[in-house]
Amino acid sequence: MPVASAVLRGGVWRFGDWVSGDDGIVRFSELRNFGDDHDPAELARMCFATLVPDFAAKVTPGDIVVGGRGFGIPSHPPAPRALKAAGIAAAVVESTDSAFIRRSLNAGLPVVTCPGITSRVEQGQELSVDLAAGELTIVDSGEVLTTKPFSPAMLEVLDSGGLVPYLERYLAGETRA
Amino acid sequence: MSQTVAQKVIARAAGADSVAVGDYVTVTPDYTVMQEIYFHRNIKILERLGVEAIRYPDKVVAVLDHTPQAALGSEHVIRNRESREFVRRTGFQNFFDAGRAGLRHLVMVEQGFARPGLLVFSDEPNIASIGAVGALNVPISTEVLVSMVRDSNWVRVPASVRFELTGTLPPGVWVRDLVQAICHEYAGGDGLVQRCVEFGGVSRLGLDSRQGLLAGMYHAGADTAIADVDDVALAYVRERADGRPYEVFAADEGAEYDEVRTWDLGALEPFVTVPPRHDEVVPVSEVAGRRITHAMVGSCASNRIEDLRAAAEVLRDNEVAPGVVMYVTPGSPEVFAAAAREGLIELFTERGAQVLSPGCTTCWGYLGALADGDVAISTNQEHYAGRAGSRNAVINLASPYVVAASAVAGEITDPRPMLTMQGAGHAGR
Repeated sequence: MPVASAVLRGGVWRFGDWVSGDDGIVRFSELRNFGDDHDPAELARMCFATLVPDFAAKVTPGDIVVGGRGFGIPSHPPAPRALKAAGIAAAVVESTDSAFIRRSLNAGLPVVTCPGITSRVEQGQELSVDLAAGELTIVDSGEVLTTKPFSPAMLEVLDSGGLVPYLERYLAGETRA
Repeated sequence: MSQTVAQKVIARAAGADSVAVGDYVTVTPDYTVMQEIYFHRNIKILERLGVEAIRYPDKVVAVLDHTPQAALGSEHVIRNRESREFVRRTGFQNFFDAGRAGLRHLVMVEQGFARPGLLVFSDEPNIASIGAVGALNVPISTEVLVSMVRDSNWVRVPASVRFELTGTLPPGVWVRDLVQAICHEYAGGDGLVQRCVEFGGVSRLGLDSRQGLLAGMYHAGADTAIADVDDVALAYVRERADGRPYEVFAADEGAEYDEVRTWDLGALEPFVTVPPRHDEVVPVSEVAGRRITHAMVGSCASNRIEDLRAAAEVLRDNEVAPGVVMYVTPGSPEVFAAAAREGLIELFTERGAQVLSPGCTTCWGYLGALADGDVAISTNQEHYAGRAGSRNAVINLASPYVVAASAVAGEITDPRPMLTMQGAGHAGR
């Protein structure tokens, strides 16, 4: 079983408050056939393109998004899939809705909330995220912030690589939660 | 432990005496409701997983509400057929096809699936509207797929805020104006995020209006919402429950809320939400006079009979202005038929509004899409760029009163003078 939930570490992309999932992370209006899994390359190109035009060119696989209040609201499934397709390893946000957290988890992307995070880290700083322990470490300073740890059930979905591979394992009787 | 209504509903679904806010708990949902758009994807996934029949066919409700009209040239012509074959093959007992459907928000309530104390998983936060009869909507997005193979899933117990309604809506003011007042205060911050909004004092609103109110709380940031169950709600449920069980919960004395406040309905006025944010809410006077090309009444915010009556009140003695296209979408066949019996379909038609068949229609531009330069005023839920067609169209959000009055004037208009002239303004009460 791949272990996605080991401690994640990456460079920070910092965003402000109320970055919409539908018209910020992606431009939902420009996606056709929206019940489909869209081409990851198309989603990666679209990711944050309105806010940071050169995001796709500059993002490094493993980078971490730090978002403000209401991050990702409202969203449809392409929003977290775009973050994942762009190489984002995790999002740490001031706040977001539970549907976005689930949607992201199902796409294999961990999203955690941490009020105050946007004033603690700068663009480009290294952040490490320990989902099981609920610890966020700003690598430069060693400062540790806390978040609610993922539950075993959530970690199992994440470690499976998302909802569909999780269900494959569940139906094969290979899951604990 | 003193508990909120949301805690009690979740505890019941978890088979526990009580649950604590913030805890992750495993629950058995009473129902899971889903729309058809993701069927195309889910059919392929279930085939790959080797799932030939859904495990709990009586507990899953599938509603064809986004694409029941399946236009020539759209992929939905084929996909709807694919969806019908899928639900038949896999044994869904509760499938609502075009002609029997309407929005799943309404289907859940009208068909008696949503009942007090029940926990409902869904694919959309706006389905919090079912809280009007005391059922708790837990939006789980793509995870509705899980309910096709398993009878349990996790939830995180939300904190609640308690909003008590007082006063009476003034003439020409609608529950949408309350939604917008709440969005104005909360949608730019995160005071309602990951929370359940629990409403008291709801007897001041009709049951339809309560549904519209709860459906809008997502846009103020909330995960879900629920209302106290009064005699009106209970009488409705009894008519529709058909012997199926339910349990009415009230919050305990001493239940913990992140915030408790009152909202005076009598202090509200007609508002307009301008794009692109939900907290950009202004009194109608601030934007009055802006030319419009389209006016829409519909969506899970405002597509029930009380909403149609409000729009009809304005159109009783007024016509849709030349140059304005107005669409009215009743939310379900039941609402459509009720509107027909009351003469509202005739009225809308004679006044120059187009009545569309039940569905999500104009809210996502599936019908009545907007072109470059169009300016709409609508009762729909979203107004970000490109939501209903062109990114270069403008969508303003308002009540059915404001939408209908604006359609008559050809520009954004305060409905109150029009209603005063008619000595009315009290639909829904």
